[in-house]
Amino acid sequence: MTGLAVLAGCSGPATTPATTPARAGSAPVVRALAARSAPPGWHQARLPDGTAVLAFPPSMHLIAGDVGEVSAARVSASGTFLLYLNSTPRQGAETLANWPVFRVRHQRKEDSVSVRMLAASHGVRFFGGTGTCVIDAYVTRVHANHFTELACFVQGQAGASVIVAAAPTARWASAAGLLFRAVEAYRVR
Amino acid sequence: MPAILQRSLAGLALLAAVAAAGCSSGSSKHSPPAHHSSSTPTKNGIPQGNVGDNDADNHGAPSDGDGNI
Repeated sequence: MTGLAVLAGCSGPATTPATTPARAGSAPVVRALAARSAPPGWHQARLPDGTAVLAFPPSMHLIAGDVGEVSAARVSASGTFLLYLNSTPRQGAETLANWPVFRVRHQRKEDSVSVRMLAASHGVRFFGGTGTCVIDAYVTRVHANHFTELACFVQGQAGASVIVAAAPTARWASAAGLLFRAVEAYRVR
Repeated sequence: MPAILQRSLAGLALLAAVAAAGCSSGSSKHSPPAHHSSSTPTKNGIPQGNVGDNDADNHGAPSDGDGNI
């Protein structure tokens, strides 16, 4: 890794991740991202352009998305997204170098009334490529839903794509382990 | 993977998880995947109208990896 930056804290009173107390019972999952094969029984979905394969656990299922993308989710009976994975071919001006800023700027323009970059790292190794990853928390413009995501831009030999792994912010601590595992299993070519 | 990289990424995960836990809210209602509707009512009933590329993430779902607006 060539860089690790914590660039923003919570909204409201000035805080930083290092000083923000974890709530009782929400012990974070601490584990490094390391490219490794998906566990047995996981499903796989290939991007239509063939440049990446998204792995997702049996507890998630494919959902509809934009043309050219693949998405998987675990959704409650009431329609609440509990887990979300998405793979999308590169569509804009995103690069390995600008990804953290690009992602946050995109979130702010398209989907969110607020977004906070929590961390970013470059030089993350994936199967078949290298990525830049960002973790951010945002509030959706519609319904004011709070999500936290790990979003990586991954450059392979044949193309570049984005993998997004998200969960409601209130559930992030418990969801992060599974979502990180899915990101670790992401394959590009 | 080099040990230094693993340690750095572990730190990243820790910081993000702690920060996210500290910033969590009581969000309870999400929109199911919905695509290409002409308008979306918000909680207060005011039509939101089209935003962004009008895909699911423009309607309260998690954001996809779309790099375009």
